[in-house]
Amino acid sequence: MDLPELKRLERRDLDMLLSWSDGTEHKITYDDLRHACPCARCAPQRNDEESSKILRRTVENLPQEKPTVRPVGNYALAFEWKNGCSAGIHRFERIWRLGEKQDPDNGKAYVHGAW
Amino acid sequence: MADSPVKVNNPNNAPAGPSPEEQKKMEAAYSQMKRKMAISEMGKSIKHKIMVLSGKGGVGKSTVATGLALSLAQQGLKVGLLDIDITGPNVPKMMGLSGRRLNVESGRIHPAQGHLGVKVISMAFLLEDEDTPVVWRGPIKLGAIQQFIGDVEWGELDYLIIDFPPGTSDEPLTVTQNLPDIDGMVIVTTPQEVALLDSRKSITFANSLKVDVIGVIENMSGYTVRGKAPSGTEIELAAPGGKTIRVTSDGDGNWSGTLDIFKSGGGQKTAVEFGVPFLGKLPFDPGFVRGGDDGVHRIVSEPEGPSSQAFSEIVAKIQSKVESGSSSGGLEII
Repeated sequence: MDLPELKRLERRDLDMLLSWSDGTEHKITYDDLRHACPCARCAPQRNDEESSKILRRTVENLPQEKPTVRPVGNYALAFEWKNGCSAGIHRFERIWRLGEKQDPDNGKAYVHGAW
Repeated sequence: MADSPVKVNNPNNAPAGPSPEEQKKMEAAYSQMKRKMAISEMGKSIKHKIMVLSGKGGVGKSTVATGLALSLAQQGLKVGLLDIDITGPNVPKMMGLSGRRLNVESGRIHPAQGHLGVKVISMAFLLEDEDTPVVWRGPIKLGAIQQFIGDVEWGELDYLIIDFPPGTSDEPLTVTQNLPDIDGMVIVTTPQEVALLDSRKSITFANSLKVDVIGVIENMSGYTVRGKAPSGTEIELAAPGGKTIRVTSDGDGNWSGTLDIFKSGGGQKTAVEFGVPFLGKLPFDPGFVRGGDDGVHRIVSEPEGPSSQAFSEIVAKIQSKVESGSSSGGLEII
């Protein structure tokens, strides 16, 4: 499917509300977002169920905060946090899948060096 | 960092100020913030930003990028040309700017002015001599590109043309991530299959980054041989691929025939296949080679010639596309 365009992102205390051009609305918690970080340090931890749980616990233990959101070109968003990892560039496809409660990695294990 | 507001303040008996390391970090953060602000300003002061890419090297990408910039400048538009090819910068040579140095004032880099007033920035301006290679790994290149984007005083421009090294690696990725409101990419190819294969990758790359593909240009498309013979003479030309081209001299005794040295039509075929516009063909013109070496682009030396005409037609299509392009309205973040 052609991905709808993200039109609005509202940052709330614990989650963000997203409005897409086709009228779809998503709510994504910051914990879900941070657990889905696609950076080279966080992503490989989701390849294995046990380490994925550890990553989940790590992000849940971080202080609650609203991120600074920065568009990256036309294709992604970067979320900057005062604590924890801010390195990931979240493509809109990933954000959509998170909103749809699907696996943001789309079942693909992370391989270092692959973009 | 003379204009940094971050100062070390640690007189005797006073509370300790930041350590030199902290001071360095603060200055770097300040400099980064200034750069981000300058980059966001570029979105307003530069009306159109066009990336020129090719999958394969040697297809004449820098010649095309320079030609597009000059053709736009011929119309009286304010044009900038950013040569992002860090390891093989050759735009300055084509613009007659070899040996030039960049002017830096108050931490801002001022571009050199080439033919027809085109403002040029290139890594070549920073090299000691033309034979010095730039041997940099990705992160250093990334920093240099960010400086070229954020620290250059372009002023008001109608068009910024950005020339890249071949491929889909660090350079175009960094620019698409950092430069706001890019109008799109122009893909340059030659007609042969190997170049087309790589061009298809460039189109997929653009799609993946959600950057519009303005269109495909087929360069080195046909070499026209001209001659004189008595009126009505039939001439046979041995063309590539064992073909024979038959031409007849006209009433004035002039004849011409076009040889498709690298085949023909592949650029258009690729454009159709990927559903992107085909912008046109540029002829194989040895004048480009001479002009590149002499620092006088074909458009400057022969502004009414067939190559200039071909560039004008391509530029008209690009202008029509980017100037009618509707903005998506952007993303509201609250």
